[in-house]
Amino acid sequence: MAELMQDRVEKLKDLDVFVYHGKIYIPNTYTAGAVGSRFLIEIRDNKKIMGTRCSTCDVVYVPARSVCKHCFSQLDKWVEVSDKGTLLTYTVAGQSNGVQPVDPPIIYGIVQLDGASTGMVHMLSEVDFEKLAIGMRVRAVFAEKRVGSILDIKYFAPL
Amino acid sequence: MTTEKKAEKKPEYIKVEIARPRAYKWSSGKYLGKLYKEALENRKLVTNRCPKCKQLLWPPAGVCGRCNVEAGEDWVVMSGEGTVLQYTYLVFPLWDPHYGDRLANPYPTATIKLDDGVFLVHFLEEKDPEKLKNVKRVQAVWKEEGRGRGLGDILYFRTIDE
Amino acid sequence: MGNRVAIVGIGQTYHKSNRKDVTQPEMVAEAVRAALTDAQMKPKDVEAVFTSNMETFEGMYLPDHMMVDEVGAFMKPGLKVNTGGTTGASVVEEGFHFVASGLFDTALVIGFEKQDCGDTTAAITAAVTPVWGKGVATGAIGEFAKQALTYMQKTGAKEEHAAMIRLKADKGACKNPYAHLKLGLKSIEEVLNSGYLVWPLRLLDFCPQSVGACALILASEHKAKKITKKPVWIADVVTVHQEPFRAGSFGDPTGTEEYSQDIAAERLYKRNGITNPTKDICMAEIYEPSNWEEMSHYEHYHFCEKNEGWKMVEKGITEMEGAFPVNPSGGVIATNPIGATPTIRVAEAALQVRGDAGEHQVTRDVHTAMATALGGPNWTVVTLLKRSL
Ligand SMILES: [Zn+2]
Ligand SMILES: [Zn+2]
Repeated sequence: MAELMQDRVEKLKDLDVFVYHGKIYIPNTYTAGAVGSRFLIEIRDNKKIMGTRCSTCDVVYVPARSVCKHCFSQLDKWVEVSDKGTLLTYTVAGQSNGVQPVDPPIIYGIVQLDGASTGMVHMLSEVDFEKLAIGMRVRAVFAEKRVGSILDIKYFAPL
Repeated sequence: MTTEKKAEKKPEYIKVEIARPRAYKWSSGKYLGKLYKEALENRKLVTNRCPKCKQLLWPPAGVCGRCNVEAGEDWVVMSGEGTVLQYTYLVFPLWDPHYGDRLANPYPTATIKLDDGVFLVHFLEEKDPEKLKNVKRVQAVWKEEGRGRGLGDILYFRTIDE
Repeated sequence: MGNRVAIVGIGQTYHKSNRKDVTQPEMVAEAVRAALTDAQMKPKDVEAVFTSNMETFEGMYLPDHMMVDEVGAFMKPGLKVNTGGTTGASVVEEGFHFVASGLFDTALVIGFEKQDCGDTTAAITAAVTPVWGKGVATGAIGEFAKQALTYMQKTGAKEEHAAMIRLKADKGACKNPYAHLKLGLKSIEEVLNSGYLVWPLRLLDFCPQSVGACALILASEHKAKKITKKPVWIADVVTVHQEPFRAGSFGDPTGTEEYSQDIAAERLYKRNGITNPTKDICMAEIYEPSNWEEMSHYEHYHFCEKNEGWKMVEKGITEMEGAFPVNPSGGVIATNPIGATPTIRVAEAALQVRGDAGEHQVTRDVHTAMATALGGPNWTVVTLLKRSL
């Protein structure tokens, strides 16, 4: 790695000012926790999309989360929601920046699955940009090889 | 009835690891730029002096934080010699925090007081733990290659006899 | 001075090296729930939420923005603060200032760190400019190693004294249900036989990397009296900043410069009529990343004469049963979730004032307690707590 990350120093023209081009390596591990793990494992093992429900507020959170933001209840009621839903909004990313999982252009959308109260961000495919519309019905397409990642849902496609 | 217990299944927790180096650009600015230039071109350590309290600022800076005055251009060429005040060395290899590699610093690090009174943290050439105990007076040894990095142009400090 | 402010709720998580069972927000929520339960309050009773951690120690930017829901801050005002190692005390000070100003009657303040998500030393190195050479930086531990060497040479303290401190800390940690390292050390030889890590610091001379959170609920005088029978009053908070490199990252290697600790303590004592610190104050929870640092801090906080910190240890003065107990919780050397560490100092000192520290409650009656925090560029925050004002 050190090789890849050699830093360099640039002296500005006509000025006694030096610019140091460096890189800092700070690894990041995100722990999905018990609730997040179960959400991902259900998709991986059973192709099931599960949410957590707050009965006080009558809200189903998808992706599942552990706390209801409205009433602060701890959520432990799991409900399966549909793999079909409605497109709430969308955009297209034309530039790549290295953190994206696939090559651009990428259609990003917010999808509210049937049975869920919240929208979730994911990608859309098998659709022409011109035909996209808010309110469009979509379904989840699962990846063949699933590893316990949100990308186990490969993308959403029109119904 | 059997007393045999089924091994409890360990819950599976998912984690996502992201290992991407983050790039940054750091500008020396005018005052530190002078330090970098003198180190690069003349193998000299320079700094500027506060016009009010007459203390050396270190590293060179645009203001004296103690007096809250503009520091100006009263430049001083400092000695490359100094005295070791504190030192330490890695016994258990830590890591290179810059690149994330597992590797110990090759040389002991020390807090050195230059004869002009300023402190800096740098490497010592001496690696022998026993001999380190007696290291007092040291002198900067400049790098031959990969220069243009200010104090990084110094390879390490070498023991000198007095 | 502004309005009176009291700590009315105290909560913390247990601490360990890693927590895969929770996300960062879920971990913080554990401390928040504990504080709310302690105060018998609901999230809706909290007017503002202040969070703090060491940005990038989790390997990510703005970790606090993810936890709005989990800490009960949804649609509430609040701020995030990061002042380096002192941050968990700065967030208490921030809440204190807001409530003292009368803007809010109740505030939740949180310190947290989930170090299993990032690389602390890499992040610390990112705070060093290339002037000083990132290769030279050995994170915090190299600095504390050099400080230990200086302390030894200057005061005549022996490795045995540092080992006694470690033993005292472990005794406290074993009695503290929330502490991280509970080693059950029996003798100073066990400490002296642990290998060198960064000479002259041994493995057991330095704090662990912990994962955890601590939350406090602050309230104005009229609210506090309604919420609890045992409010702990924040008498004063003093922050002093010091420019780091002139004096070395964690203090002056020659002993000729002023320390931010001295200035902070002098200011705090003067403002609060404290003439004899170990008499007027009943105990302290101090930020000691290494056992050597603890002895040095005894001196800089004026708990003893200069160069005599190790004598306090020898005489057992700072033991749990001693005349001036220090870190009965086990301290930082047992538990160090960095952003939460100074908040825990205040929380533990407050528990001592309330008489609620349980097994590690000190023998001496604690009507006044002090909590300290130490930050990278030798910054200091000291907090004074009282049973009655
Ligand atoms: Zn709810
Ligand atoms: Zn000046």
